Amino acid sequence: MAAIIAQAVVNGLLIGGIYALVSVGVTLIFGVVKIVNFAQGEFVMIGMYISYFLATFLGIDPLVALAVSMPTLFIIGLLLQRFLIRRVLGLGDMPQIFLTFALSLLLMNGALLVFSANYRTVQTAYSESAVHVGPLYVSVAKLIAFVVAMALSAALSFFLRVTDLGKAMRAAAQNRDVAMLMGINPDRVFGVAVGLSLALAGAAGSLLMPFYPVYPTVGQVFVLMAFVAVVLGTLGNVKGALIAGLMMGVAESLGIQFIGADSGLLVVFAMLLLTLAVRPSGLFGGSTR
Amino acid sequence: MLVSLALPLVVTNAFAIDILIRVLLFAFIGVAWNLMGGYAKQLSLGHAAYFGLGAYTSTILLVRFGISPWVGILAGGVVAMLASVPIGALCFRLRGPYFAIATIATAQVLMLLFLKFRDFAWGAEGTTIPNLGNAPLMMQFPGKAGYYYLALVLLAIGLVITRLIERSWMGYYLIAVGEDQDAAEAIGVNVPRIKRDIYMISAFLTALAGTFYVQYIYFIDPATAFSFNVSVEAALVSIVGGIGTLWGPVLGTALLEPTSALLQSWLGSGRGGVQLIVYAAILMAVILWRPSGLIGLLTRRADAPEAESAPVNG
Repeated sequence: MAAIIAQAVVNGLLIGGIYALVSVGVTLIFGVVKIVNFAQGEFVMIGMYISYFLATFLGIDPLVALAVSMPTLFIIGLLLQRFLIRRVLGLGDMPQIFLTFALSLLLMNGALLVFSANYRTVQTAYSESAVHVGPLYVSVAKLIAFVVAMALSAALSFFLRVTDLGKAMRAAAQNRDVAMLMGINPDRVFGVAVGLSLALAGAAGSLLMPFYPVYPTVGQVFVLMAFVAVVLGTLGNVKGALIAGLMMGVAESLGIQFIGADSGLLVVFAMLLLTLAVRPSGLFGGSTR
Repeated sequence: MLVSLALPLVVTNAFAIDILIRVLLFAFIGVAWNLMGGYAKQLSLGHAAYFGLGAYTSTILLVRFGISPWVGILAGGVVAMLASVPIGALCFRLRGPYFAIATIATAQVLMLLFLKFRDFAWGAEGTTIPNLGNAPLMMQFPGKAGYYYLALVLLAIGLVITRLIERSWMGYYLIAVGEDQDAAEAIGVNVPRIKRDIYMISAFLTALAGTFYVQYIYFIDPATAFSFNVSVEAALVSIVGGIGTLWGPVLGTALLEPTSALLQSWLGSGRGGVQLIVYAAILMAVILWRPSGLIGLLTRRADAPEAESAPVNG
């Protein structure tokens, strides 16, 4: 029994690393730009397709493809901020929600049209291999994904704490108006925040590719997890989103193990509603938004 | 108005009248959504929860207990209204985009629960509604005209309720909440209560549409009843037409629904995704260039006072 629980927790933590990466991206945009990117999952999907095509046609390992997917999505992020998000800032909830929501529909269904609904997978040398740690079975591909995801999250928090641009970003997150009075250029800060957030989504996509199939609606799985994790980890809190992302992975895995294979999502939503009932400001917050 | 009454007499093509019925139905759902999403700016993306509850309530009453859908439609409305109270109590703890996400979660949870209720609610396979032929007392009509008039009545009810609310103190309170919740609270509006009340009304009306829809297509399963597309379309038609306006959802549906039906019939169902691409592109264009909706392009109706028809950007 203990071994089953331990195995479920390990599986959950490993996939939770990916949820954490997506959640950190969502919370970074929310914290700095004050909008929720409903299309974040679609950028994970794009990252996956980039890795898939690089692997299938050029034989490039999906993990090496990280070096392509991250910069590509960073640039897409700059463009997204420059041409779409900037135009709805300060316009209220409706345009801000439905702009990225429409973008999500557009990208998802565009992918459906171009790539069809087929599931596509990439086989790597390590896709099926696993290491045994005592009684536990640890998939190598998932372990690599987890380690890289944690490294990227650490790099982001280092960037936010140490560099001038990172500090400017945290300042903008705390109080946008004061930050602007202090001479911080919001366009630049917002652009980099959206770019970094999308680069993380792209990284999540590349990391998933060795063990997860890509299909046009794949992003929905991850974005729902991320939204819940971001609420649980307190809106705009990067560390909170990271920890909550890992927790979502574990909760989902335990739900699948003990309630039923189709119950992962149910557990996740139940956690969201429970969070709202008990602690609406999340685990790391004082008051709601 | 007279034109809409006479339409089924003139239009005999089944495809065309089916589109008209869908326009009326989704306009009605849009009107129900708009009461809360448009006037009070509580942007729900989970109205499928109430659509599905209405649909399941009347179907369970009909199939399990032989109770007429005319009773079931009201029962469904009441069930939805009651369900909206605890759901609202939870979701209203979040604001703006996170409120929208919480409502998505509630509709998904209900869908997942109905997938699990195999004995009671037929699980994933769903069930067909027994076809009784010409049985108006069981909300079944021999031709499409009957459904057309029923949908027309529902839409008229929705519009009258909207008009009554718009003109009452409640309408002004809703707009105040939509503009700035904190300011509304500060001037003495009981914000939690008014949000709860409008959510109940909106849920009740949405549930009526759910019953109508399953009676019309003679089939129910969790994926249809709690379809995310219902939630999306409710919001979409209102935004495209004109959020927070009486006729906005009607205009939006009249533009979007026939477009989607024609696209589907031209391209066939094999090309999945085109319909939603078109919807998304229209939605994006409206948000970027005309966030108050397309209704402003039409000349203002003589009987609509400026202050009320002017869309509010919160």
